[in-house]
Amino acid sequence: MPDTAHEQPQQRQFYPYTENGGTILAIAGADFTVIAGDTRQSEGYSIQTRYAPKVFRLTERAVLAVNGFAADGNMFVKKVKQRLEWYRHAHAKEMPLRAIARLIQTMLYAQRFFPYYVNNILGGIEEDGSGAVYSFDPVGSYEREACRAAGAASSLVQPFLDNQIYFKNQTPAPGTPHPTYLPLPDVLAIVIDSFTSATERHIEVGDGLEMYVVLAKGRSIEELADVAGVQELTTRADGDRMFVIQRELKKD
Amino acid sequence: MFLTRSEYDRGVNTFSPEGRLFQVEYAIEAIKLGSTTVGVKTPEGVVLGIEKRVQSPLLESSSIEKIMEIDLHLGCAMSGLTADARTMIDHARVTSQNHAFTFDERIKVESVTQAVCDLALRFGESVHDEDAMMSRPFGVALLIAGIDELGPQLFHTDPSGTFVRYEAKAIGSGSEAAQSELQDKWHSRMTLQEAQALTLRVLKQVMEEKLDQHNVQLAQVTPEKGFEILDEVRLKAIIDAM
Repeated sequence: MPDTAHEQPQQRQFYPYTENGGTILAIAGADFTVIAGDTRQSEGYSIQTRYAPKVFRLTERAVLAVNGFAADGNMFVKKVKQRLEWYRHAHAKEMPLRAIARLIQTMLYAQRFFPYYVNNILGGIEEDGSGAVYSFDPVGSYEREACRAAGAASSLVQPFLDNQIYFKNQTPAPGTPHPTYLPLPDVLAIVIDSFTSATERHIEVGDGLEMYVVLAKGRSIEELADVAGVQELTTRADGDRMFVIQRELKKD
Repeated sequence: MFLTRSEYDRGVNTFSPEGRLFQVEYAIEAIKLGSTTVGVKTPEGVVLGIEKRVQSPLLESSSIEKIMEIDLHLGCAMSGLTADARTMIDHARVTSQNHAFTFDERIKVESVTQAVCDLALRFGESVHDEDAMMSRPFGVALLIAGIDELGPQLFHTDPSGTFVRYEAKAIGSGSEAAQSELQDKWHSRMTLQEAQALTLRVLKQVMEEKLDQHNVQLAQVTPEKGFEILDEVRLKAIIDAM
């Protein structure tokens, strides 16, 4: 039998998580919501791919952005989509946005002691036709908000949104109060500026930008007509409409 | 060996050569022995009514429970072996609460009805390790009333696990007479008050005793107040106004 008394203690470990960079963002308007994410996927200083979508269409009126550990994110989206299909079969209707938000909470909390390593932002149109954004932490705490940024560059983007969407640290001119909701063209401009700036200052952000726009039923699509790179995803003629806008971001 | 004709009603999950499940059919017969139960749907809500058979003057009629709440927006009336209904209503309540917990919304009336019917055919010989199952079909029929995004609805379920939506439905011993009366008197623009009166009038016709606030019970589901069982004071007022 070999003598092992002189050997040094050894330690082994397995770390099941990776951070894959990237940033996501969603802003709600009165009757629309924009949900966006960059398409770079990285590990450390290496880029794994320049096109890995982080924003997914769930229903006619709901979009989910997932950021963090890409493998967990993709699996989570797959499971949410499966639950949406089961719900459609059981209850003969599309799951409302607010119900999807609660479902995501229960799915995340079910993994409380081995969490999905992801931040989720859910955006879309509520039953009452209003634009809505729900943001989640990895174990399912959630709230409905007007806007939210998450991911690698969230600490750069969120303060910008606080200033531009919530008008924090801005003093309105007398007699002209700050608007509660911004118009769609302003929101799109803010989203694009957020990502070009994050691309400049954060190495994990860049390559491509995907912006999903959900418009409440009956709303004019005029403001999207001459936007470059817009593509309609709507499948039902009588409901809300969904578009995706694809843009390039710097690749360095 | 070929079983003789009469032996096909022994096993609960053996089809007869004519393709019938006798035990399920006998269970449906059991409902016809139960007290009369009526449900009426209107655009303003759904009314449920039951007859309480008070066999003895010493019996406390308030202890007869044949209308039960499933959730704030769902109610249920029964006829047949009412003890069997407890299992079903328990299941309906759990299903409804689970739905609210997971989806932050009220479950649809049809979905909760489907959940109850899923139970109905889970009888038969259980295999060695399984949890104890029902050994026979449920001997009870339910009228499930509720309101969801599709408006007021009334469903009827029977021991075969079939469910059907009705505008107005009667089950139990007096159901044939009651149903034809409902067919004559029900109309689509009924008010809730008219539905209450119709329910009581139909029950009165098929009851042997004189109808009063002790031997009938009314419940309703409305958009404003959800499910409620009417207390004897309100019931008496409605009876007096008939």
